[in-house]
Order: sequence, then C-alpha cells, then structure tokens
Amino acid sequence: MVHLVEVESEVAEYLRTKLGDKLFGVATPKKLRVVVRVSSDAVKSCIRAIQEKFGDVHLTTITGCDLGEELELTYHLHLYANNVHIMVKTKVPKSEPKIDTITDVIPGAVLYEREVYEMLGIQFIGHPKLERLFLPDDWPEGIYPLRKDWRPEGLK
Amino acid sequence: MSTIDLILGPQHPAFKEPERFLFKTEGEIVVDVEPRLGYVHRGIEKAFEMRNYIQGLYLAERICGICNVAHTLCYAQAAEEVYGVEVPPRARYLRAVIHELNRIHSHLLIIGVAAELIGFDTLFMLIWRDREIVMDLVEMMTGNRVISAYITIGGVRRDVSPEFIEKAKKMLTKLEERVKYYRKVWIEDPIIRARCVEVGKLSKADAIKLCAVGPTARGSGVNYDVRRHRPYAAYDEIPFNVVLREEGDVWARVLCRIDETLEAINIVKYALDHLPSGDIRVKVPIRPPPGEGVAFVEAPRGELLHHVYSDGTDKPYRWRVRTPTYANIPAVCHMFKGCYIADIPAILVSIDPCFSCTDRVTILDIRTNERKILTWTQLKKMFREFRRPKA
Repeated sequence: MVHLVEVESEVAEYLRTKLGDKLFGVATPKKLRVVVRVSSDAVKSCIRAIQEKFGDVHLTTITGCDLGEELELTYHLHLYANNVHIMVKTKVPKSEPKIDTITDVIPGAVLYEREVYEMLGIQFIGHPKLERLFLPDDWPEGIYPLRKDWRPEGLK
Repeated sequence: MSTIDLILGPQHPAFKEPERFLFKTEGEIVVDVEPRLGYVHRGIEKAFEMRNYIQGLYLAERICGICNVAHTLCYAQAAEEVYGVEVPPRARYLRAVIHELNRIHSHLLIIGVAAELIGFDTLFMLIWRDREIVMDLVEMMTGNRVISAYITIGGVRRDVSPEFIEKAKKMLTKLEERVKYYRKVWIEDPIIRARCVEVGKLSKADAIKLCAVGPTARGSGVNYDVRRHRPYAAYDEIPFNVVLREEGDVWARVLCRIDETLEAINIVKYALDHLPSGDIRVKVPIRPPPGEGVAFVEAPRGELLHHVYSDGTDKPYRWRVRTPTYANIPAVCHMFKGCYIADIPAILVSIDPCFSCTDRVTILDIRTNERKILTWTQLKKMFREFRRPKA
C-alpha cells in the first residue's frame, strides 16, 4: 500500500501548481483528506485537473451551507486511484448566487445540484434540468428552507 | 410507435415505500423515466439545526429504520471529529459488530424481497424466517430488535457478556449454513436466472460516471468499499474481502449482497473473538469546539456521508446527510432504459431502494383526458367542500 501522507501531499502539491491564483488554500487535516479552497469560477477546472491526473472521480455529494452574507459549497470527491477524499470548497455571494454546473464533467451531479438549488437558491448555470427535487409542488417561490433566515412555522 | 406514459407509485404493490416513477414506454419497452422524489421528505437536515448533539443522535437513527446503525455510527463519527475525541478500542470493535449485524439483517431483508418480486414467494419466506436469528441477536445485544440506540458519541452504550459471545457465534454458524444454501439456490435455480441474468445492466463506466455506490456499484465491478478504502471503527484490523462482481445485472447485485452477508458473519465472529478489553465509551461535553466534521460509513446500501458545521454552540450550525439510495437514483434510471415493463420491480429492488422523503394526488379526468396533480392543501380543501352539507 502506498504511504498515506505522501498521497495527500501529492494531491495538494499538484493542485497548487495547476490552479495558481484561483486557489485560496490547501490543507490536509487528517489521513486521506485534502481540503481545497477555490474561487467559484474555478470549481470545474479544479475537478477537470483532478480527473486528468488521477483518473476516475466519484462525487459523493455537494453540501451547501448558509454562512450569512455568503453561501458555501463543498464538493466531496473520492479518488478511485488512491482513496483520497478531496473537499473542494467555494463561496458564492448571497446577493448573486450563481455558479457553473459540473454535470458536464460529472453526470452524477444532476440531483445534488437540483437539491442545492431548491434548498439554498443557488443557480447552476448550464444544468440540463434545474427544477425542484424534494419540495412539495405548493411550496412558495423564492423561499429556500435551508437558508438561516427561514424557520419552520409553529416552532420556537 | 407512439409513446405511452406509465405511472408507477407513489403507492404500488412492488414498492415498499412511496415514490413515483413516470415511465415512457413504447409497447413493452421503457424508453425513458422521470422519478419524482420527496414523498417522505421530512426536513431532517433543518431539524438537526434545532437540536443539540445528543438529541440529534436519536433523530439520525430515525432517518432510516433498516440501516439505523449506519446512521448513528456516521453521526457519531462526524461529531467525534468535531469534538476531537478518540473512541476506546473495545467500542470500536463493538461498533463493527453491531454495524455488521445490521448489514446482515438489511441484506437478508432485501434478498427476500427480491425473491418475492420475481415471484419466488417460498424463498422469500424462508429467508425472512432465518433473518429472525439476527434480529434476536440484535435484541440480545442492544435490548431492541430494530431501532437499537446502541452507538453514542464517544463509544457505545452497552457492553457484551461472554455468554452473549458464545451464543452469538453458535447462532451465526447456523445462519451461515442457511445463507450458503440460499447462495446455491440463487446461482443454480433456472427461474431466478431467467428473471435476473442480463436484466437491468449497468456497465462499470456508467456506474462510475453516475456516481453509484454500494453493492449497486460493486455488482458492476467498481472497487469501492468505505470499510476497506477509508477504514473506520475496527475495519483496519479485521480481515475481510470486498465482494466484486463483473456482470452488472440484477442477478449479480443480489449475489453481491449474499456474499457480503457471508463476509459480515465472518467479520462479527472475528470481532467477537478478538474483542479488546477496556472502556466502552468516553464522555463528551455538551458544547463542541467550532469546526467541521465529515464522516463516511459503508451502510448496507452503500457509502453514507454525514457532514457537520459546528459554531461552538450546543446545536450544530448545519448538518448534511447523503444517503446511499439517493446516490443510486441516476444509476437506476439508467438501468430502466430499454428494459421490459415486467422487469421494473426486479430492477428497482436490485438497488435496495430506501425512500425516506409530502403528499399529492394525480387526478385523471377521463371525460376531458386531462391530468392534474393536486397539492395537499388543494386536496384538504376538496375534502372539506365534499364534507360540507349541501344547502
């Protein structure tokens, strides 16, 4: 088995050289994990770069989180080649929540992007069918339940 | 040929849980499918933000009754990462034991249902009879048959006695014999082969592209099992095999689960034989430090993720859960394309679907041939108007 620490620093080093000033930071907080912070226009090129170097990538999911003024997206990627879990993190402003779709590089992202869209109101530009996924049909337009300013009725 | 829309669900004899699929069919062949998810969507991710970490543990357990251990384990691991605590070795082994017992019961459940859906009711009843062995074991170990409330943040809540270990090994040996027999039936029976071989094909390339997980992906030869590739609990110390099949059809996916059941029995036996001594839990404070925790677990249906953001208060700032069936929806929609209508239940059951997601009704007006979907509010209004006495 390949030595674990080397695998993480290899991924971190490669992304550092490949992404340049689009990269805000790389960290390796624990075994088999790399956390990458990139600008919102660089997510797709980051995933493409990872695919070119390490081959097939599995997208576990996309986590969306409301941080107040900004919305944070975390793309959880698993590399089949060396079992590293890469968290690609990016932020989009709440005033203009838009980001490019990654469905053209990872087709399995279709449902995850729809869920983030309905729950947090982020527009994925270029998504083949950006519609609601889980919410009921009579759910009002422009209400995003996982944003912090929305609270369920009748609860303290 | 003109296409005909065929709607299956949300209530349908072949579905164990509510989900609607709109199949576009040409004759007997499905050409396209559109799933409608969300019938049992309960807003659990929002609910996590309103509970403290211990209350959240019990909520996590109720995401899915069948794989409740996988959810509490994943929840606890994500929370432990935020708290920065190490679980004692004995607890790590006991976690592997209950996790595998949970997998055995879940796999036997779905293998039985698969047999029922292809019309082999005897096999279904026999498998479910033998599944009681593992249900009894779970009850002996945790005090409950299904929702076990066994795992907690920092360890497990009950220890096992030497008598339990002896009894468990005996019962598992009996179960192993039975499962080996079912494996033989699944491989040799001509009717099972006729219904399952070459049905619902998923190639390895498609499984990777559509991000399939668990036995669905491993049945197509994708070598990914969280227990092996990013070990947790005691899986780095317990020897076991990752079951892979190359065929990529319904038959292979179910066989994958049968073989995994046999592996799980061995894992439990090994873990019980090599159980370290010592504490079974460490206590954690109410408030964790600020930070982020991510945990992966190989649930019976595949890779499960819990991702938490902590802001230093007693409640999580954000809790994200990604369940394995959700990940397999794009893959199962792909499998449906080109299949026969009669094979729809067999293909659906081969991903071991677990739909945990608000109600509506489709009304077809046969006079105008108009179809409309009613929301819950509209349906309630119609009901009130219907009940109101006529003037």
